[in-house]
Amino acid sequence: MADRRRINGPAGATIPPVFDDVSTPKLKSPKTRSRPPNTTRKMYLKTGVTPSASGSAYLEIETSATPGVSGLKLSCSVHGPRSLPRSAPFSPHIVLSTHVKYAPFATKQRRGYLRDPSERDLGIHLEAALRGAIIADRWPKSGVDIIISIVEGDQDRETSLLQGDEVWDMMNALGGCITVAAAALADAGIDCVDTVAGGVAALVQDAGEDSIPTVVVDPIPSEHEKILAACCIAYLPTRDEVTNLWFRGDLPTSDIDLYTSLVEKGIQASKNANRVLVGCLAETIE
Amino acid sequence: MASSQHVLLSPAELAYLHASLSLAPPIRLDGRSPTQFRPLVAETGILPGTNGSARICFADGTEAIVGVKAEVERTAQRPGEDTVFFEEGGVGTDDADEEGETRDGVDKRKGDASWVEMTVEIPGLRDDDSGTAFLSAMLSEALLADGEFAKRLWINRRFHWKLYLDIILISPPLSYPLPLLSLTSHLALLSTRLPRLKSEGDEDPFFDDDWAAAPHLYPRTAATTTRPPITLLVMAVGNNIIFDPSKEELTVADVALAVSVTSATSPSTLSKPHTTDAEAAAAAETDPESGRNLRLLSIRTIDPPSRLTPPGVANAVNAAYGAAGTQKATLEAQTAAETEAVEGVWKAPRGGAKRAVLGALVQKVLERGGVVDEVLDALEAVELG
Repeated sequence: MADRRRINGPAGATIPPVFDDVSTPKLKSPKTRSRPPNTTRKMYLKTGVTPSASGSAYLEIETSATPGVSGLKLSCSVHGPRSLPRSAPFSPHIVLSTHVKYAPFATKQRRGYLRDPSERDLGIHLEAALRGAIIADRWPKSGVDIIISIVEGDQDRETSLLQGDEVWDMMNALGGCITVAAAALADAGIDCVDTVAGGVAALVQDAGEDSIPTVVVDPIPSEHEKILAACCIAYLPTRDEVTNLWFRGDLPTSDIDLYTSLVEKGIQASKNANRVLVGCLAETIE
Repeated sequence: MASSQHVLLSPAELAYLHASLSLAPPIRLDGRSPTQFRPLVAETGILPGTNGSARICFADGTEAIVGVKAEVERTAQRPGEDTVFFEEGGVGTDDADEEGETRDGVDKRKGDASWVEMTVEIPGLRDDDSGTAFLSAMLSEALLADGEFAKRLWINRRFHWKLYLDIILISPPLSYPLPLLSLTSHLALLSTRLPRLKSEGDEDPFFDDDWAAAPHLYPRTAATTTRPPITLLVMAVGNNIIFDPSKEELTVADVALAVSVTSATSPSTLSKPHTTDAEAAAAAETDPESGRNLRLLSIRTIDPPSRLTPPGVANAVNAAYGAAGTQKATLEAQTAAETEAVEGVWKAPRGGAKRAVLGALVQKVLERGGVVDEVLDALEAVELG
């Protein structure tokens, strides 16, 4: 007993008795998808929320757990275009820097204050998606910072077990990031070839092991038994071009149609998001 | 980012390069055919202190070393149906044998993405550089995408192997190092061996001392063709699809993709839960000579450095060539230069890639008897040390 300054518990610990007859609350079975397979969730988008930034936007996406409550909450601010510091080398184009950060309380597992590799990875994906949309040569020798904070990640808090890995959540987050960043860029008045928006589609297996997998738009991982593959797409609708494609999963290469339909559905999801984006921007102009 | 490091080529050089790569067939700087890889030197088992290691040196002088180290780690227990308490874990349950397969053939092994830790080190780049994070995310994503790899690290319900994959580029990054790092880690994983397990059930693991008896992580028998994933870099210029681009070729790419594929054993694919009719049919018709059943694991768009290149100035708007006409004429010429492509004048590409181009790129990678088969065959010929 070296430590006499504190009141310590007894040396020998015991385990509290557990009685069999106490009914333990059963884990809820995973919810099933309530939307049709080709419908995205409702989305709320607003620009100009941060007065001090040259452009900003805020995005909320409805959650699965309780209808009407938002799941994913994203806030984006754009600083610039502003001149590069004197020490920076000459650049004939605008220098884009993207910064995606989960708030420490955004996910079930607490995130630190420093960006972890998955957040850096999201930042690179976002940069690739936006670089295709921005007309970069109109601003030589200047830079723009795009900062996104994910205030609330889209995770079902009612399921206690971590189902699958987080990568499917990351895809949903990236889709939202692309849309919100495009809105903020438009709010900042930075010239783009088109409004870019993100969309996610997944190949899921719902009932049983032997069922035929289906392609759904805007998947929520907790609603499906198993996600076989998913893809996140950044799409420019008027040019009919894809600026970023991120696919992950396990597909037989003999069946290229499955992959193609996944990409098509991703584009469809992105078109839906784009409609919201255009509506929001039109509202701002009025 | 590593792909967008500055290439000191003038707009005229870029235009020339782009034009020669858009020809049919394309003319590449080093005279390769569009699907040809750079020649490489590969060896495995170079680091005696590791479970598996490999070194690959590309002809352009880039060289990478990969070392794989494994440690036994206790699996974090979550309260649930397969919680094992210490008391019952000691006696060894007999419903699970060493491979974790029960008699009714249900795979009880579980894997977790956190059991694999991958680090990439590239000289001249900071540890927290986004490009490095992107590379390691891409490589580990391919490894973990099918969820089968982490299951190989399962020892019993209480313990698992923790695998550390350390990838070091020992030369300066002369080209985008993705294919090199991917091929090297493929070889290192192929040569990885884990000590043979002697204990049974959920006991504390106890291993065979004899290194010669240690089984490979990827067993090399005739029955299994399962291999670690490989990631290929593909780019499109005009209508041409070019594999394994060098740094200069990547500078004029319209679109660049990193595609990860793996080869899986046909029987295991058949027993997989998500076997569809189409898949079963495809597995049955796998061509006999290669016997490979390729699976697509991940695709990522690489931000092509061409978007960061300086634009050329057409003679029509260049004051040095007497373009200083009336204000209106100059304006017209400038709008034309902004919107239309002028022959021989380089302009950084705008916008994204057409859907058809992306589809063609992926199709070209996945085609049977194509580059993937070629690369896998070549890597199979490397002697495992």
